Amino acid sequence: MLDVRDLTVHDGRSRVLVRGVSFRVGPGETVGLVGESGSGKSLTARALVSLLPQELRSGGSARLDDTELLGRKDLRGVRGHRVALLMQDPFTMLNPLATVGTHLVESLPGRADRVEVARRLAEVGIDDPAVAGRYPFQLSGGMRQRVALAAALAKDPGLLIADEPTTALDVTTQRDVLALLRRIQTERRMGLVLITHDLRVARQACDRVLVMYAGALVESARSADLDAPAHPYTAGLLRSVPSVTHRQPVLLGIPGSVPAAADVVDRCPFADRCGWAEPACTEHAPPLVDLGDRATACRRHGGIDLSPPELAEPDAEPVGDARATLLDVADLVKVYRSIGLRRTEHTALAGVSLHVGEGESLAVVGESGSGKTTLARAVLGLTDPTSGRITLGGLDVTSYRRLRSADRARARRLVQCVFQDPYSSLNPAHTVGYTLAESLRRRGEDLDVESEVDSLLDLVGLPASYAGRRPVALSGGQRQRVAIARALAVRPRLLVCDEPVAALDVSVQAQVLEVLRKANRELGIALLFITHDLAVARQVTDRMVVMHRGRIVEHGATADVLDAPTHPYTVRLVQSVPDAAPHTEGEAHVTQ
Amino acid sequence: MIVRALSAFALGLVVIAALLGDWIAPFDPGAQDLAGTAMPPDAAHWLGTDELGRDVLSRLIAGTRTALLGPALVALGVAVLSTAIGLLAGYRGGWVDSAIMRAVDLVYAIPPLLVAIVVVGVFGGGYPLAIGVLIALSVPADTRMVRSAVLAQRNLAYVEAARTVGLGRGRILFAHLLPNVLPTVVANLLLSFVGALVGLAALAFLGLGVGTGAPDWGRMLAENKGLVDLNPAAMIGPAVLITVVAASVTLLGDRLYDLMSARGRDAGRA
Repeated sequence: MLDVRDLTVHDGRSRVLVRGVSFRVGPGETVGLVGESGSGKSLTARALVSLLPQELRSGGSARLDDTELLGRKDLRGVRGHRVALLMQDPFTMLNPLATVGTHLVESLPGRADRVEVARRLAEVGIDDPAVAGRYPFQLSGGMRQRVALAAALAKDPGLLIADEPTTALDVTTQRDVLALLRRIQTERRMGLVLITHDLRVARQACDRVLVMYAGALVESARSADLDAPAHPYTAGLLRSVPSVTHRQPVLLGIPGSVPAAADVVDRCPFADRCGWAEPACTEHAPPLVDLGDRATACRRHGGIDLSPPELAEPDAEPVGDARATLLDVADLVKVYRSIGLRRTEHTALAGVSLHVGEGESLAVVGESGSGKTTLARAVLGLTDPTSGRITLGGLDVTSYRRLRSADRARARRLVQCVFQDPYSSLNPAHTVGYTLAESLRRRGEDLDVESEVDSLLDLVGLPASYAGRRPVALSGGQRQRVAIARALAVRPRLLVCDEPVAALDVSVQAQVLEVLRKANRELGIALLFITHDLAVARQVTDRMVVMHRGRIVEHGATADVLDAPTHPYTVRLVQSVPDAAPHTEGEAHVTQ
Repeated sequence: MIVRALSAFALGLVVIAALLGDWIAPFDPGAQDLAGTAMPPDAAHWLGTDELGRDVLSRLIAGTRTALLGPALVALGVAVLSTAIGLLAGYRGGWVDSAIMRAVDLVYAIPPLLVAIVVVGVFGGGYPLAIGVLIALSVPADTRMVRSAVLAQRNLAYVEAARTVGLGRGRILFAHLLPNVLPTVVANLLLSFVGALVGLAALAFLGLGVGTGAPDWGRMLAENKGLVDLNPAAMIGPAVLITVVAASVTLLGDRLYDLMSARGRDAGRA
């Protein structure tokens, strides 16, 4: 049905961004396009519907049945009607001033009535027809994504391209939306190209998975066959996904970071990060070799063993009760009041109590809106709680503003933070060395700042030469490690980590998580680890609390909570984790 | 590209003229030649003479000093004051912010040039007074822009990280926020320069600002407007110079802002 041949994308200066991508999608087939940031997967999708950013040009061919999609002028007959695009961010892709009904009516062919709108909404699982009269801001992220899906399907396209449709959603919502996509696609016998960075999602939802790296396809395989990858990059990705079922002694990432596509046009793009690379790998770009029902771009395929190592270690015993309490949070409440004509209240924390022992690691898990970030901000003194008490190292730090300045300085040295977004957590105006030195001086001792900066960088696995760099010259994972070094410079006893790897590609997550585990185990720094990712929590923490709507609904040893959850919400959360297993053969439509 | 090069070239010439005025001017700008008044351009007087027989070119060259110095003082004064107040208002928030911003709103309601004319006119003119009034009236608008630049930065994680590390307010303001709002400050600085150049010229045109007899572009425009038939160059010369300098500074300022804000920023986040 869709036949893409040798698709390329160039920027205004003819630098290659996507190189020679070829694949086919049959009717009723789901093809997953998987890759990390910079792999070119979104550009590939946008090229197919001619929505590339203005200065970019596409080449090659993409035929949908008998229609060429690339380089067309009369797109209106094709876009929406035959091929539709579902975008990532449900919060910005709907017009805030138009109701759900308006969105659908303008997309539906011919004169649409209320009955048709209701029918379309019902198809995407919205049974309440009153939703048609609502505005986007009145809907949750999952609901918006459903409305956007209904709008994308309005003209009954034969092919739907979904670009990271569930990335901005919570895991439980993600599961529902994926199931919905799958059901609609089966019913309509529609082709689906699902673009995602998450290999687990792709395997679960797709018949076939295409792996992209630095602008090129490196492997194509049926989901079921991915247990035995045929390209070292795929193997590395599979290994990088942390396990939710057991604790790994070493978290394996892929060393280095993704190169720019234009820098690797005449060689194997993965050679620099590959454990099996040999000199011949860098001599020319290896083509995608067809191996029957799969294909790989590794010239050494068959000659190397890519099966993942089986590694597991017993989960650490929780030690919190045996040690002195470092952080004690008692009955914490935070209510946000809006200012304006209609005063509304929002309870972010509804009485949260927890404690962290010296050197212990505690996970706080929950979905967006559960209050976990508010909890972190209160502990860090970035927001004052409405009521309750926070004690840190014997010091009452409920309100940092009311502390005497000597006590405030003491508290600031006890607790430090690693923030979620590595792109905004470092000052772009200063070098890494400046940032670290500034933090070191807060320790208040006489020390050789320069050599301390070097040893901090060494601690987080970065070369000393990075001290002279500015954040713009660092990748996301490197920035996050600098942010950890900045926090460790103060020698805190508690490190608050607010989603420290959520913004990172999976292949570099492991490096950051390893640094945090090292800080916890070797330096004895306690962790308050906030995450939505249960697998990450399993790898890093001893104990866990589960938050839901501002309350703690379950707590216990991390392994116990994940292996045998008792609260219904925790059960749902655990079940929503996309597992590494592919979806069952029975549903699959294997087509040529 | 070519426009920017021309702008830089034109500005360079004006600055050189300001520095070397006495040496390169063909005549004494104040010397009158009552036998040769309002002469059109010739080999001796390239831009002719005005109605007192003074050489127009020499007066234009002498006028570069007030044309550059006044606006530069205004721009610097506005930049320093608006940055300090804007940083304070944006970072402190609360009642401090409210008080400052209401005062800003108040000044906003006043038409600046009109007030300048009234104040300078009532107090008998004078170049320093004109400069002071222009500073006072330009600070609010720039304060507002600096404040909004600070608001965009203050909730970014790096500022919260600086607070968590335990840095003091002064250090966060000047070592962390200031470098990141500097592109806005510099862009405003150059726009204030242009505004002050035109504003001071307008005041001089109305006979306020620089003293009588002083060679000043705005004043020349006023003095020579009657010569439009006899020696049009005497009027067109200062008008063209004011326009060229204002346009050049604006163009180069745009470029400078782009360069400064590109530094340290991400080319693209995937």
